[in-house]
Amino acid sequence: MWTWKALKQREDGLLRPSAFRRGVVSSRASSLQLSNAKEFISLHRGAINSLEIDSTEGEGRYLLSAASDGTVAVFDTHRPTSSSTSSCASIAQHHPLFHLPRAHKFAISRALWYPVDTGLFITASFDHYVKLWDTNSTQVVLDYKLPAKVYGIAMSSIATSHSLIATATADVQVRLCDLASGAFAHTLSGHRDGVMSLEWSSSTEFVLITGGCDGAIRFWDIRRPGTFLLLDQSLSQLGTRPPLLPTPTPSNNESTSLPASSKSSSSTPILPAQKRRSHKKIQLKPPTQSSHPGMASSQNRATAHYGAVNGLRATADGFYLLSSGSDSRLRLWDIESGRNTLVNYEAMSIQTSKPIQLAVTPDSSLVFVPCLASLKAYDLWSGTTINTYRGHYESVNCCFFNAQDQELYTGSNDRQILVWSPSIPAATQIEEADSKGGITSIDQDNWSD
Amino acid sequence: MAESSQSKSGGKKRPRSESEGDPDADADAASLQSIQLENDLNFTDTAIALQMMKAQFPKLDKVVVRPFILRSQLYSSVKDRTQVDRDLESLKKEAVVRVFKLNTGKDDHAIMFMDDYLAQMENAVKRYDAKDKQLSDVFDWFKQYVIKSKTDVSISHPELCSLLSNGGDVTEKHVTLLINAGLLTCQLIDQNLYWFVIPNIGSILKGLSQGRKELLSLINRTKYKEMVLANLEKKRLRLSPLDIRFHIRDLIGSGLLKTVQSPIGLLIRLSRD
Repeated sequence: MWTWKALKQREDGLLRPSAFRRGVVSSRASSLQLSNAKEFISLHRGAINSLEIDSTEGEGRYLLSAASDGTVAVFDTHRPTSSSTSSCASIAQHHPLFHLPRAHKFAISRALWYPVDTGLFITASFDHYVKLWDTNSTQVVLDYKLPAKVYGIAMSSIATSHSLIATATADVQVRLCDLASGAFAHTLSGHRDGVMSLEWSSSTEFVLITGGCDGAIRFWDIRRPGTFLLLDQSLSQLGTRPPLLPTPTPSNNESTSLPASSKSSSSTPILPAQKRRSHKKIQLKPPTQSSHPGMASSQNRATAHYGAVNGLRATADGFYLLSSGSDSRLRLWDIESGRNTLVNYEAMSIQTSKPIQLAVTPDSSLVFVPCLASLKAYDLWSGTTINTYRGHYESVNCCFFNAQDQELYTGSNDRQILVWSPSIPAATQIEEADSKGGITSIDQDNWSD
Repeated sequence: MAESSQSKSGGKKRPRSESEGDPDADADAASLQSIQLENDLNFTDTAIALQMMKAQFPKLDKVVVRPFILRSQLYSSVKDRTQVDRDLESLKKEAVVRVFKLNTGKDDHAIMFMDDYLAQMENAVKRYDAKDKQLSDVFDWFKQYVIKSKTDVSISHPELCSLLSNGGDVTEKHVTLLINAGLLTCQLIDQNLYWFVIPNIGSILKGLSQGRKELLSLINRTKYKEMVLANLEKKRLRLSPLDIRFHIRDLIGSGLLKTVQSPIGLLIRLSRD
């Protein structure tokens, strides 16, 4: 077995401990199966739309789930509340620590933990409200009323100078709600249709990435008005980090830019790719009477997908962005150059009506995508299907990868939260059940007392 | 030799790794390659697959259309899809092939070699007699300035006008002429953006979508939703002028059908998901 040999090598000093840990984690992450040792008893009576584990330092333990019937529940993933015993296996059952039956009037589209600790959580719903809750008293502390139904919210986990909640609604503007003051901080306009998904950058606290129903993905620096980068699926680079493709010949460029500059300013965003640097200069001009600085790039019609962008996820290192669209494509973008890396993720079909939640392993090796009633795991760099997880009866909406235990939680329209854990050889389980007959947990092995 | 054996024995669906190992296709490809690609002496798998599929394009009796290949067909015959995308991108940039977005279903693209496309364009322009002879210069401008420099699938109105104006004064009537001749189409979501299209391809696209549905329903009607490839190849589709191999490749590439090895041979099965 890989692990025994690697243990011996680690002992002998041939393998570094960090390399050993990485190997164990990645082999566990690629061998996930429907867990036969753990289950969540979900009391939701509607489709589960959002799953999130808190991101406190070192211990991601509490699972927050939100459903279409307006209910919110929190589960403890480490300690089971009871166990169902059957003849040869006992399954640890996790009941919700609390379950709020009437958190919102309509469906909740997203629930987030406050990034710093689990004292607060935020929910966003189709009833146009974003609410901030105190976890211990389960009461609403603040709420924000938005003009249209809210598809998604995001808070930056690395932010130290601001505590803004970015909200994506069916309205074309992205609003930033300030937690400290309880009011709206500012609005970002530029999308031409509703915004379905959004994500803060994982490398800097001031950059927000939004994906709209018009198929565009925009990067916003919240300190300045306007988009500074728009991802265009036709601008591509070969390979994940090579130099850019040779630009069109200079003579051709000049001939196209000369007649363009003679026309009105509406043609300035349609410059070829390498002129993107000059975008910034154009946007910093003082606003003219008829156009707002952010509007200059609203005329840039570049699309990242041929349909709505319904899922965004940045890799943990902040270099790459994954976006899924209702044209059933998943694209990998290099954030620094803003180009499509052309990695092709094999055939998938993504549901088109709702935003979905993608998951990426922290070492950026696997991406989990909900595809209708199953969940597919792809290798991030080559696009090959590693695994298909079939267990839900209806379409899967959200998934979350717990990096601490290498477990995957998925929620779907069939009101269930399923746990996928690394597969243990069957022999170990039967032996343990014979000798003890009590609760067996995943981190016990043959030598535990 | 290999070509004829493949059409007899259902070897159209060869194992994917063999796509570059066909000696006859190599010989044909080599001669075509030396004319088309100037400096490139390496044969990428994608280029060979494109040549092979162009050679196998069915002969249509009613409509004259130069061979085109669907992107999903390319995916089914070359194993690594990312490599296909990247090769296609570099072939596009070198102006060897041109890619068009089709309106049949989500994310369908057609790939056509540049000289085939130019020949198709010539036929279309000849058949469409413009009433105003002055305006028909726009076809030459289109060919010379727009096709050569813009390798994307779509183009915006201001950019189109600026590229055409390299030839002369451009008015709205010129653009209307291009649309009427079938070389450009307005996008539905945005009036200012145009798709490039292959002219005179409408009836074939209709046949494509109907043929797909017919093939899927054919396999769906069997008891176990699967069929042996050799038997499937002998069938003829009523609704589509394109032959069944074209459709099989396309559906395998887009993931609706999958191939399974069995002791009888290769089976085609409807993929469930």
